[in-house]
Amino acid sequence: MTNQRIPAPPASAASEQSSQSGAKRRWRPTRRGFLIGLGVTGVGLALGIGAVATVGIPYVRLRVAGMLDGAEAPAGEMPTDPWAWFEVLPDSRVRLYLAKVEMGQGIHTALSQIVVEELGVAWDDLEVAQATTARDLGGGQTGGSNSVSSLFAPLRQAAATFGEMLRAEAATQLGLPATSLVIAGRGFAAVEDPARRIDLAPLVAAKTGEWEVSKEPAPLKAPGNFQVIGQSLPRRDFVAKLTGQAVYGYDARLEGMKYGAVVRPPTIAATLKSVRPGNAATMAGVHTVVTDKDFAGVVADTRAQARAAADQMEVEWDAGYPWQQAELEAIVTVGNGEGIPIQTEGEAGKLLDEQTSLSAEYRSPFAVHAHLEAQAALADVKPDRVRVWCSTQSASLERQSVAKVLGVKEEIVEVIPTYLGGGFGRKLNTEAATEAARLSQAAGVPVHVGWTRVEDMRNGYFRPATHHQLSARLDDAGMLVAFEHRQASGDVAFSFFPEVAGALLGADFGAYRGATIRYAVPNKRTIAWRSKVPVRTGWWRGLGLLANTFALESFVDELAHAAGADPLAFRIQHLDDTIPAQQRVKAVLQAAAQLARWDTPAPEGRARGIACCLDVDTAVAMVAEVSVDRATGQIRVHHVSAAMDPGLVINPDGARAQVEGNVMWGVGSALIEEVTIKDGQIEPGNFDRYPLLTMKEAPSVDVVLLEAGDGKPRGVGEPPIGPVAAAIGNAVFALTGVRLRQLPMNAARFMRQASSVTSAAQAAPA
Amino acid sequence: MRLDINGETHDVAAGAGELLLWVLRDELGMIGTRFGCGAGICGACTVHVDGVATRSCLTPLALVEGKQIRTIEGMATANADGSLVLHPLQQAFIDDQVPQCAWCMSGQLMTAAAFLVQYPTPTEDEIVEAMGNNYCRCGCYTRIKRAVAKAAVHMAAGTQQGAPA
Repeated sequence: MTNQRIPAPPASAASEQSSQSGAKRRWRPTRRGFLIGLGVTGVGLALGIGAVATVGIPYVRLRVAGMLDGAEAPAGEMPTDPWAWFEVLPDSRVRLYLAKVEMGQGIHTALSQIVVEELGVAWDDLEVAQATTARDLGGGQTGGSNSVSSLFAPLRQAAATFGEMLRAEAATQLGLPATSLVIAGRGFAAVEDPARRIDLAPLVAAKTGEWEVSKEPAPLKAPGNFQVIGQSLPRRDFVAKLTGQAVYGYDARLEGMKYGAVVRPPTIAATLKSVRPGNAATMAGVHTVVTDKDFAGVVADTRAQARAAADQMEVEWDAGYPWQQAELEAIVTVGNGEGIPIQTEGEAGKLLDEQTSLSAEYRSPFAVHAHLEAQAALADVKPDRVRVWCSTQSASLERQSVAKVLGVKEEIVEVIPTYLGGGFGRKLNTEAATEAARLSQAAGVPVHVGWTRVEDMRNGYFRPATHHQLSARLDDAGMLVAFEHRQASGDVAFSFFPEVAGALLGADFGAYRGATIRYAVPNKRTIAWRSKVPVRTGWWRGLGLLANTFALESFVDELAHAAGADPLAFRIQHLDDTIPAQQRVKAVLQAAAQLARWDTPAPEGRARGIACCLDVDTAVAMVAEVSVDRATGQIRVHHVSAAMDPGLVINPDGARAQVEGNVMWGVGSALIEEVTIKDGQIEPGNFDRYPLLTMKEAPSVDVVLLEAGDGKPRGVGEPPIGPVAAAIGNAVFALTGVRLRQLPMNAARFMRQASSVTSAAQAAPA
Repeated sequence: MRLDINGETHDVAAGAGELLLWVLRDELGMIGTRFGCGAGICGACTVHVDGVATRSCLTPLALVEGKQIRTIEGMATANADGSLVLHPLQQAFIDDQVPQCAWCMSGQLMTAAAFLVQYPTPTEDEIVEAMGNNYCRCGCYTRIKRAVAKAAVHMAAGTQQGAPA
């Protein structure tokens, strides 16, 4: 078993100690923009905006879309001084500080593999500590599947440089040439005479003067010599997590703390008109009642007391317009507003018409993250120091939010990320942090706010509903001549940006993630419509990837059938080997098909469907094997065969785990998950109305990993969610001839579509 | 009120109507039992009450007074030298690298532990039936199923290093 750093008691969990080395940190990075952590480079976007005057807004919009498709790695600013990342511990082990948070994706393990590879210390002689906002390491957000891709180069360089600095100092102290020294255990030893050695702690303690960072970049290992990268090393956090010791945001505790509850709006459009304490102030255990213009809450000795008192406050709401589900779906409609072309090649518009084209419409619903650890934070607000422990994917953003809401300088606020009980994009905004801070400020004691499931399900932001119109034209040989995807979606990224960004870009890059056509078609066009819905929508695993891939890859399946072609062969015919990205998609399609034995008949009563995607430049293909209970319409996914090429694999088992998890998310979204709105309220409030996939419905999953061969790792946290729903829908069509064009593909929808369809290929949307 | 938790007696201030989950977490600081839904659906809060897997989020103290409560904190044991001895299920979950975020895992382990006492040589269908009411949002289901099966084999053969269930 590897060493596990079980976090200290919650009060001090992840709180940093001063550097043992005593070395000065001379580096001060500038604050990085919010965009960077989410897959869009601040640099790239700034370039685009700067270019408006000369090349015009449409160019910028296409440029942003193209940049996202190419997944140009976020450059970002990272510290170059190794002491920002590392600390030598008194026992000569090395501690690595990471700003990236551990939310289940195994990032602390993967990143420490990259470090151990270049630093050369033993796996167990490196420990990982969660950096707080007090240690500005850049890359303050964890999301967009970019932690490994963005940190691979800077971490390798930092680790190699750190190693060289230590080696040079060891050479000085031992009076030997640096070239004669190698890492040996927890120190350096002479190759020729291993008795001549020095451990890292005494080495660092005896250092006089400042550490020099060499101007020349330290040499890096050739990828062919990697020994740690590419190994399925065990996760570092599992003993703590499986013995109940790991500290999450819901677990953060301080001496003298109390519990907070916040009054919630009754509807999605509600605004607070007035609030008075009512009976709350005199109820048992109540410490403080807060009645601000826009915020009302209670601090009490226990959660139950706080919630009971919050319920007794006299609150007057303007409930706003009572929105209904059908009204929201009508808003999310292609053609409603201004369509923004995000991909234009050839003359797709001219070649597509009702006489010669095939077309179909697809829809996907609102969905919620349903991370099992609800929003939670502990805040300790003192006049000169504010500390907040919370489950957050964006500590730096929470630091800004907390400082703003308290009216204090950011410098006195420290946000300390805990482990996250799931993030999935929802914890890029941790409202519980600002709520706990406000309540702590008012009460003068540390306050923990942990949302109930009902609060969490109704008061967050949602995956937006989408609508897709697809059309295409085949030539006599069954090859695609023209292909168009017209897509409408609620906001994803724009929800979090100033309105000016939305006005400039026109279409939301988060919403159209995965919307462009990746096949070799001479004439193709993608147009995106921004649907302004009255439901708060935003980041959700893969952003628009699941909905867009469902529409595109289901329609490609329709085209294959129209062309009389095998769905796998049809896809491969439309991928150009001379374009690396398309060649990689072709390779994963073939690998998934081979894994699934595509060329053999499916077991009796079942059929297979295939789909693929390219996301953050990771290629994924999946084959789903399904059956359908024709009496009830219930679809069952028995098995998924997946192939993924993320460029370079850091930890194969970790990458496989991400594929498996994405398959389960995808099956849930494909068959079950749907948030509806009634009378202005989010209908589901708990898992009775928003059930998740369980082991009973879970398919078995086989995963094969491919590598591009260019030595560059891409993301794995989101891309595999893309093909799941389409692969399932395509399998259902192969089995039954029923084409399902609306998610979720639940039993009722199947029965409705099966009874209304006579010719599936010309069917209207389900 | 007096509670017997993991073989130790705890006097708690909470009244008979308080829910076991929050008394464990907020009064006793035993954070290993996790909150998921508060409605008995997701299983994250599962503990043992006299050996029976029980949703602590719906269980008032009145129902557990005088009974033996076991939580995730009582699953592993310690050697004479203080070193940790994992339960075979915990070891199997590490061996197969089961969790992702792991917020549900205390409930998964407690559910599985009670199940394996009743079904020491389970079939795959029995495992799915027993574990089918515990949500894992990260989607670790194939690994949970495999690890429970492996732990059962180890426990039945007596080859595990860990303590008996």
